[in-house]
Amino acid sequence: MRISRKTQWAVRLFFFVLASVLLALWFKENIAALPRATYLTGWLLLTLMVILTVYNGRKKIPFLPLATSKGWLQFHIYAGFFTLLLFVAHIRFRAPTGWFEGSLALLYALVMGSGILGLILSRTFPKRLTTRGGEVIFETIPVIRRSFRERAEALALQSIPEAKASTVADFYAQELAGFFSGPRHFWQHLFEVRSPLNRLLKKIENLNRFLNDQERDVMRQIADLVRQKDGLDYHHSLQLTLKLWLFAHIPLTYSLLIFSVVHVVLINAFSGGAR
Amino acid sequence: MIISSERPERWDESTSFGNMSEADLDRLLSLSPFKEIKPDAFPKRLPLRGILQHDTRLRKYSRGEIVVRQGDHGTSAFMIISGEVRVVLQPELPASILGRKDTVRRSLFRSLTQLWSNSKNPETRQPHELSLGDEVASRQADGGEVRVVLQDVPRVLDRHQTAVIEAGEFFGEISALGRIPRTATVFCEKDAELLEIRWQGLRDLMRHDKNLRQRIDQIYRERALASHLLTLPLFNALPPEKLEKVIASAEFLTFGEYDWSGDYKRMVKSGSANASDKEPVVVQEGDYVNGLVLVRAGFARLSRKFGRGQRTLNYLGAGQHYGLQEIAHNWRKKNSTVPFQNTLTAIGYSHVIVIPTAIIEELVLPAMPVAQLPPLVETTAQAGDSTTGAMDADMMEFLAEHRFFNGTATMVIDLDQCTRCDDCVRACAATHNNNPRFLRHGPINGNIMIANACMHCSDPVCMIGCPTGAIHRQTFEGEVVINQATCIGCQTCANNCPYEAIRMVEVRDKKGRLLVDKDMKSILKATKCDLCVEQFGGPACQRACPHDALVRMNMGSLDHFAQWLK
Repeated sequence: MRISRKTQWAVRLFFFVLASVLLALWFKENIAALPRATYLTGWLLLTLMVILTVYNGRKKIPFLPLATSKGWLQFHIYAGFFTLLLFVAHIRFRAPTGWFEGSLALLYALVMGSGILGLILSRTFPKRLTTRGGEVIFETIPVIRRSFRERAEALALQSIPEAKASTVADFYAQELAGFFSGPRHFWQHLFEVRSPLNRLLKKIENLNRFLNDQERDVMRQIADLVRQKDGLDYHHSLQLTLKLWLFAHIPLTYSLLIFSVVHVVLINAFSGGAR
Repeated sequence: MIISSERPERWDESTSFGNMSEADLDRLLSLSPFKEIKPDAFPKRLPLRGILQHDTRLRKYSRGEIVVRQGDHGTSAFMIISGEVRVVLQPELPASILGRKDTVRRSLFRSLTQLWSNSKNPETRQPHELSLGDEVASRQADGGEVRVVLQDVPRVLDRHQTAVIEAGEFFGEISALGRIPRTATVFCEKDAELLEIRWQGLRDLMRHDKNLRQRIDQIYRERALASHLLTLPLFNALPPEKLEKVIASAEFLTFGEYDWSGDYKRMVKSGSANASDKEPVVVQEGDYVNGLVLVRAGFARLSRKFGRGQRTLNYLGAGQHYGLQEIAHNWRKKNSTVPFQNTLTAIGYSHVIVIPTAIIEELVLPAMPVAQLPPLVETTAQAGDSTTGAMDADMMEFLAEHRFFNGTATMVIDLDQCTRCDDCVRACAATHNNNPRFLRHGPINGNIMIANACMHCSDPVCMIGCPTGAIHRQTFEGEVVINQATCIGCQTCANNCPYEAIRMVEVRDKKGRLLVDKDMKSILKATKCDLCVEQFGGPACQRACPHDALVRMNMGSLDHFAQWLK
């Protein structure tokens, strides 16, 4: 039986959980009681953390035959989760003591947390972006946003001589100029809240009763632009988040590595042979 | 209301190919084989003299000039008027002599140097990348055409077995009619005058002159058909005497227009790119099953009536066939015969070979093991959907509308998995001196995007008309690459590409200064995805995708694509 590409993760997860449980049992029975078990888990943890960090370096040298990024990411995810087991075994199931150990544990938690967040984002946001439609390259968003603003402004100004009234232009200046001037409703888009768009469209609808046919036609075109701009903001919000989480994960990882090296030095310098 | 409009003519100014004066025409008509052709056999709207005037041209070649290159896709045949030319038999001429590039995979160290040696300026070229080398040169012929010239003809004659083609003989006709790559390189040992006949003209000459048709058919059967049939599983087990019978019975047909790229662009502009009702019909649903249709070159759409239109079920490329299931059904169930179940139409251009039903029944089907016979035809309403079982009809229409079936390395992106991280674009740039060779943007159907990257087409229309052979296949049916040294920036390939996957760029030296010619015009070069032929491990874009969202896929195999979609 061939397993489809999109369900392979479930098979991998099953075997990972199974292997982790077996390994944990084996560790508990055979290793945990050994006098240098903490050293073993510590070095293993550090080695894994270094390998996990190297993934970022692999991305910088795509021209070398260093396996596929997909393979690296799979290893990164499962080995990352495995470090959780090692970490818990390393601290012997107790809370860290002292500010240094506390900071080290906190950094680990932040790296792990940001990693899990990134995994969730990268598995959920792409589908949401696809469903919303209007695919756009992130770097081109400001250019498209500017063109929307210019078109909306032109429509609003065009209505003044045509209708011999400034109702649409005034409405644009009061309610829509801010909306078109930059990215809006970042958090609402992130959490799929549609109320800001609905509010704007409701205001446009309410205004329509005070407009003549020509102005209504202009407002209909502006409302279309509002919807398109909202879609653009949606892409901006989600795509920016997909890029930004790495800016937390990677610096935190390097901080954790530095703290870990200091931790190793301190342990070896001041343990005095204690185990 | 009726609006009068000028009817496009076969030979108006914009479509005429010829350069013949009346004196030239008289001279041509006094030469064999044209003097033996009866002008009365031609219709009034398509006279022999008109064909020669508009569909042929006289071309003078000097010593060392290459007339056709092995592997190029040409659209015309040649006849020698005076002088002689040589065809290279074996060993083949090296790529460097033909104006191409011998691509060598980078060493590990050279790969690593890209880490610090990539240019900060766009589109820089090193001097060695633009150098032609000692063995090859280019020359501007009359009319401004650039030709590649062999520098050392005696050495070529010493080292390579060649044969002479003399005055009155044809060459290049198989490639021109079948839209298949040139099988050999032809060059001039001495000055020669050639008649170039574009494929439309050759087709019409053959249609109305029996002798020429028989002569070229015979050449086609002898040189191309046997080797082609032997590549097909259906025929490769046949003993030689039976294969000869199959070859003798084969009929060759050409549908559609050779210049499908230009047609396609016009259809896209008019919004009728997926109008299957405008495509020339090869086989009509419901018609008597008169033969097995083998697609030799180009593409054909298999469709079935659905409502008022046609629903695309599949598309066939070179090497695929249609009609075997119906023939086998009728052979086994003589009392309940069926007609063709689907319609086959040419998408753009199709060159097909038709083997009569009687021959298939007599020679091919009896030789097939029962287990390998196609299943009986089901004539229920749902039966036609089985062809597309793996893929929804919407996706099939999308692929056909955009002609994506042409790609052997199409960049397919699953947007449900793509995080828009652009690691693919960065990897492409890093492996191409900081110049990405594709756009992560393109037509979308559902969650599938076909990105704007060279697809390394099975029918590479970009290669037609390159004057120096700079754009060529790396290997037989391999990657399509461009030799920067021999690219003259004429834009023919970029204009021909129906997918707009070739970009013309102004090149710079390593300090970022624009390179200019003697008239102070900037030097243009064609650039596109080369599928990382020089790099380790294949396309960097695919290897750089962390989420398995991007794949380079041969769209000739729909099963593979359907499996990937799951």
